[in-house]
Amino acid sequence: MTKKKIWVIDDDAIYQIIITKIIQKTALFSAISSFRDGKEGIVALINTIENKELLPDIILLDINMPVMDGWEFMEEMGMLQSLKNENISVYIASSSIAIEDRNKSKKYPAILGYLSKPISLNDIELIASND
Amino acid sequence: MSSKNNRLKYFSWFLTKPRTTGFFAFLFLSTIVGYIGYQQYKIVEDDEQYAMRNKLQIIRQNIEQSLKNSYTTTLTLALTINDKGVPENFDSIGKKLLASNQTISAVQLVPKGVIRYTFPMKGNEAAMGLDILKSVYLQKEALKSIRNQKMYFAGPINLKQGGVGIVGRLPVFQNNKFWGFSAVIIKLEDLLKSSGAYGIDSAKYYFQFSKIDPASEKEVFYLPKENKFSNNYSAAISIPDGDWRIYLTSKHQNYLYAQIVIPAIFGLLLAGLFGFLITLMLKKPAELQLLVEQQAANLSDGEIKFKSIFDQAAVGIAYMDSFSGYFLEINEKYCKLLEYSEQELQNRTFQSVTHPDDLKEDLSNLEKLKQGTIREYSMEKRYLTKSGKIIWTNLTVSPLWNIDEKPSTHIAIVEDISLKKEAEQLLIKSKMSFKNLFDDSPMPLWEEDYSAVKNYLLELKLINESGKTVSSYFRNHPEVVKKCFSLVKIVNVNNQCLIQYAPKTKSELLNNVDLLFGEESIPSFSKHLEAICKGKRHLMMDAKIKKPTGEIRDIHFVYSVLRGYEDSLERVIISTEDITERKIAEKKIIDSQKRTESLINTIDGIVWESDIESFSFSFISKKVEQILGYTSEEWIASPTFWADHIHPEDRETTINYCILKTSQNLNHDFEYRMIAKNRSIVWLKDIVTIVFENDKACGLRGIMIDITKNKEAEKDLKYSFNMVTEQNKRLLNFSYIVSHNLRSHTSNIASIMSLIESSDSEQEKNEMLLLLKSVSNSLNETMLHLNDVINIRNNIGLVSESLNLNQYVETAQNALSEQISTHNVSILNEISNDVTVNYNPSYLESVLHNILSNSIRYRHPDRKPIITIKWLIEDKRKVLQISDNGIGIDLVKNADKIFGMYKTFSNNPESKGIGLFITKNQIDAMNGNITVESTPNIGTTFKIYIR
Repeated sequence: MTKKKIWVIDDDAIYQIIITKIIQKTALFSAISSFRDGKEGIVALINTIENKELLPDIILLDINMPVMDGWEFMEEMGMLQSLKNENISVYIASSSIAIEDRNKSKKYPAILGYLSKPISLNDIELIASND
Repeated sequence: MSSKNNRLKYFSWFLTKPRTTGFFAFLFLSTIVGYIGYQQYKIVEDDEQYAMRNKLQIIRQNIEQSLKNSYTTTLTLALTINDKGVPENFDSIGKKLLASNQTISAVQLVPKGVIRYTFPMKGNEAAMGLDILKSVYLQKEALKSIRNQKMYFAGPINLKQGGVGIVGRLPVFQNNKFWGFSAVIIKLEDLLKSSGAYGIDSAKYYFQFSKIDPASEKEVFYLPKENKFSNNYSAAISIPDGDWRIYLTSKHQNYLYAQIVIPAIFGLLLAGLFGFLITLMLKKPAELQLLVEQQAANLSDGEIKFKSIFDQAAVGIAYMDSFSGYFLEINEKYCKLLEYSEQELQNRTFQSVTHPDDLKEDLSNLEKLKQGTIREYSMEKRYLTKSGKIIWTNLTVSPLWNIDEKPSTHIAIVEDISLKKEAEQLLIKSKMSFKNLFDDSPMPLWEEDYSAVKNYLLELKLINESGKTVSSYFRNHPEVVKKCFSLVKIVNVNNQCLIQYAPKTKSELLNNVDLLFGEESIPSFSKHLEAICKGKRHLMMDAKIKKPTGEIRDIHFVYSVLRGYEDSLERVIISTEDITERKIAEKKIIDSQKRTESLINTIDGIVWESDIESFSFSFISKKVEQILGYTSEEWIASPTFWADHIHPEDRETTINYCILKTSQNLNHDFEYRMIAKNRSIVWLKDIVTIVFENDKACGLRGIMIDITKNKEAEKDLKYSFNMVTEQNKRLLNFSYIVSHNLRSHTSNIASIMSLIESSDSEQEKNEMLLLLKSVSNSLNETMLHLNDVINIRNNIGLVSESLNLNQYVETAQNALSEQISTHNVSILNEISNDVTVNYNPSYLESVLHNILSNSIRYRHPDRKPIITIKWLIEDKRKVLQISDNGIGIDLVKNADKIFGMYKTFSNNPESKGIGLFITKNQIDAMNGNITVESTPNIGTTFKIYIR
């Protein structure tokens, strides 16, 4: 089993530190990348495609972010044609418990799950094993 | 012939002009009188001349005789001269000579021109010694005498010895040698006396004696010149011996005229008289001639007139043979009437064209005429025309023979009276039908005689009195009214009267007027009498009448005076239609109408009725005045009143909706605003029902209900609802913020806690504890923010003050001065110094600080930041506008987030997503509003609306 690449897109600096620690603990991922908002994520995706580097297998996406939020990120990602055949699993990781957000996430086929913060070790393991 | 004719013409011309002829005659005779007068004058004049010449001749002869005597004397005297040239016996001879010749006053001998001898000497001494040949005055004559050897008479001269005299000098030659003169001196007076000149009738003539002055050769007159004389009336003769002339002049110059003037005048008068007589004489026949001509003209005129009357007459005229009855002459009208031509009729008798039924009467009349018992007759009779038609005519026959003459011919005049006959027939018919109409009329009709009433009213002096007087009189005298009623005489009544007023026969009703009069009739009959007093001929009114049974009925009373009886009121027609049932029905209708109306007026809405096409109102209940302020009358008066007073904003939609629903025959209700009389806006709910008549929509009825209060309540409700919704949204937002922000921290804490638990090393644990500390700080910060927000929300009773805006802008600038200078920001403040706003001071400070710092924070890295602050009025709202040239925000994506909590749009570490959130909340708390316009890379503009 090859280790997977995981990207975390979240504006909460503390969360980024915590989630990195947790992911490292699972030791299920080969690489962890962090981005402060959706815009940075999209730019990174485009760069990765252009540089023909390895795309992430899993993206943990926050909803409320400055510059570009989670939903906008999903729209932009959907417009990237070269990702059509790629299998990138997106998981929402939000502190929002609003049912609207949960429902909205179901509209995007690329979103495989909705995780409510706090994210536990088990959650990551489950995501990793899901593929 | 022609000349004779001409003469006749002239003659008649004179005859017809008597005045001219008279004048010509007068002229002619006057000429003759003038001629005769002239001739007469000539004869008289010649006679006069002759007589005067004769007289002068005699005087001349006498003078010449005297001169001859003088000659003899001088000769005799010369003989006294002897051969020696000395006179002998001069004095004695001189004495003898003087004695024999009375006229000579002296004799002289003048040897060699010097007067030497004179007899008598006495009185003549002065002349002695005068040398004649040397005297200038005498010289010429003396020399002439010597030359001619003839005696010459000089003078008359003024004699030296005095007086005027003539000196006759005879030259004496001795032996053919001039010796001297023998002279005589004759006093002029003596000469004239002896000539008989003084014997001339001095009353008739002047005598004159003249001589040509030898020196001046001018004629000198010696006798006193009494009057100028003309040649015509004087005679003159020359006496050569002394170059003298003697004259005789008529003293009365006009004498001759007087001789002829009187006869001339007499002749002229005669001529005038004669001319006048001729005029008179000629005038008479001219007048007679004129009269004759007039008569002739009249005669021919009459003939033409009668001819044309006969031909053109509008009646038929025929000249008939009285015995046979043949038509002799027929005019055009006659022919036309009978449809025969003139020739056809001339071969017929009147008997053949007369209707057989009328022939007998006609013939008997004619017989009477012939016998002389009547002098003319006229009758209505029928003729048979050529086509067999019967025509009615009026025939008048007049005989053309005198009473004592035998019947011969007559004139028949016929007038077409077919129309009249027809009219008569019609009249009879219409009379009949009128009678039937009267008798069988379904309305009771009365023919009555009011003359007695009128006379009674006249007696009372009520006719033409003022209405007031009359009516008060009747009010006070009901017995008069009753009396008047009894004076009404019923002449005739129709069948309906009998039916309604019960009596079985007409006479029963005719004699019982009182039957119909009760107390109830008094007011209406008084009114009737008042109308009669005013002279009204027609009257219509509702009245009451008592039936013989005692029942009181309502009637419609119509009174009308028949034409021709306007003054006497002897015939009037009265109809008394029974309207009792109608009155009852009417009352019912009125009652029901009143009930409906009061019902309508109690409804708390405007009840109306309108035309289905034009929406013009035919009824609107009184409630309209209460609800809209307009009166029903005002509303009904204008056909477009409703449409005109709908609120302009609602008008089109309202009317269109109404038209649409009406066209679909659907009852409908709708709401709209109307402008009331006091200009206020009234909300109405209009419930419309379509009225059908015979399955056809024919009108609209409805009720307008005032729903202004409901509308206001609705508005309030809507407002509160909006407010509540808004607050709810904010609350939700707030709770969401709270939950989200707190949750993000709590989840972090939870994660850290689990990491600590599962940590293997002490180092890791410490690491996690540090992390936990920063989470705690974040949480604290969040809690502070939330506290701020809660504080804003709780500040309901905020204190507002009037603040100088510029002062606050400056304060904000000062607070940010470090950043401004660091980033070299230009702030352009365009607000004038006097702008003040009513705001909470700390909020204003906070708002300005947040927005300005926001603008500085999101400045564009490539250009110098410029911030412009303006104050404007937008749609009557005060606006504080702050614009920058910063990086801008993509509003398409972020419009709903910009004023949210913890919404940041960049990764700027200073972005906390709290400034605009608080700003928005503060502005909301001040009942204001904030909007944003932005273009990425160009700039952002915030507009703060201040109440």
